[in-house]
Amino acid sequence: MIVKEWCMYCGECAGVCPRNLIEVREISLNFNEENCKDCRICVKACPVQALEKGDD
Amino acid sequence: MIETDILVIGAGPAGSTAAKHAAMAGSSVILMDKKSEIGTPKRCAEGVSKEGLKKLGIEPSERWVTKEASGIRMVSPKGIAVNLTEDKVKLPEAGYILERKVFDKYMAMDAGRAGAQIMIKTLATGMRRENGQMVVTAERMGEEFQIKAKIVIAADGPESRVGRWAGLRTSLKPKDMESCAQFEMAGVEMEEPDCIEFYFGSVSPGGYAWIFPKGDDIANVGLGVLTTMTDKSAYEHLLEFVKNNSATKNAQAVEINVGGDPVGGLLKKKVTDNVLVTGDAASMVNPLTGGGIISGMLGGRIAGQVAAQAVIEGDYSKKSLEIYEELCENEVGKSFEKYLKAKNYLLSLSDEELDQIAEAFQDSDFESINTAEMIRKLVKISPKALLKLGKLF
Repeated sequence: MIVKEWCMYCGECAGVCPRNLIEVREISLNFNEENCKDCRICVKACPVQALEKGDD
Repeated sequence: MIETDILVIGAGPAGSTAAKHAAMAGSSVILMDKKSEIGTPKRCAEGVSKEGLKKLGIEPSERWVTKEASGIRMVSPKGIAVNLTEDKVKLPEAGYILERKVFDKYMAMDAGRAGAQIMIKTLATGMRRENGQMVVTAERMGEEFQIKAKIVIAADGPESRVGRWAGLRTSLKPKDMESCAQFEMAGVEMEEPDCIEFYFGSVSPGGYAWIFPKGDDIANVGLGVLTTMTDKSAYEHLLEFVKNNSATKNAQAVEINVGGDPVGGLLKKKVTDNVLVTGDAASMVNPLTGGGIISGMLGGRIAGQVAAQAVIEGDYSKKSLEIYEELCENEVGKSFEKYLKAKNYLLSLSDEELDQIAEAFQDSDFESINTAEMIRKLVKISPKALLKLGKLF
């Protein structure tokens, strides 16, 4: 997952992740990519389009 | 290992209120927040009802009240406004616009004064159950440590992980999460500067846009959308709204806020052994308005009191904590069901129907309007949509 520089760490992506794979810190996001099933719900939920799947 | 009776994770209004009431009831309490400054960045439009604060026993302070709003202005897609002002209708929801960066901190300070120990810039990274208690691993400024607590109160927001660690399903479906973006702006020229404003229709698919005045020419200008109902981001919708709205077209943004708002109605299972979930993490948000400060604090208060009582009784089991669910249902949950119906009705209306409703009501004297008359007006516009309202009235 590519997190763009303008991410504001609001955590909406973490809230909708059906597998609880996103950890929101104050100024970073950690993705547990190993268990990601590529549903992209987080990408769509982001209010500022700051997430991009690496293989897009 | 640090030991405490109750560990509250997240120092928003709900978490701080839970910590305060648990400490007041005699428990040892730790309140932790991952942020370097509690309340920053702010997460919402900052409106609360006066009645709600009163219910919580909180005296309004000039430190965090920026503006008293005396009315509501609702604007249809075509720009037809329906004004509900105090001279026209008795408004139970008249309220204050807060400075949440100050308010949230103030509430945490209250918890500290009541005896809670506050840990800032402290992130919970994991949780396990050990000998009938919870052990939470945490990180603060490069230091890793563990806290053993009899009860953990998860107040960690819509991105809640703590509840999920405990096996509760706090994850939200996209249709239950408003995606929000907001500017705080100066140079806002509002038609009714004492009213909070709502804009409905395709301007903000699945939600609404708002302008909440903060005194002088300052206002929070924002909107929430359901990502299931639009291909554009909340931010893109906001840029359009600001450009096209007469009140904001000359205004300047000094802050941007984004985030998710859990509007699906109260989380059903909020309790398990040793763990309670409260505030946004439990979707304690009015599904119609998206407002969750007061309801989160009311839920937080119950969580703190129930947890402290369980500590006194020495029973931290799910069974002992389950009373929390019933109390929350009575305090906020029941009203949410009604609001959820109203929201679904609102979302079912087209721009044309919203315009027709605004036309029908724009010159109404709401003091003399009764429910039957209101329904007659709404039936004329869309009988099919009204059916969805069910037994709302």
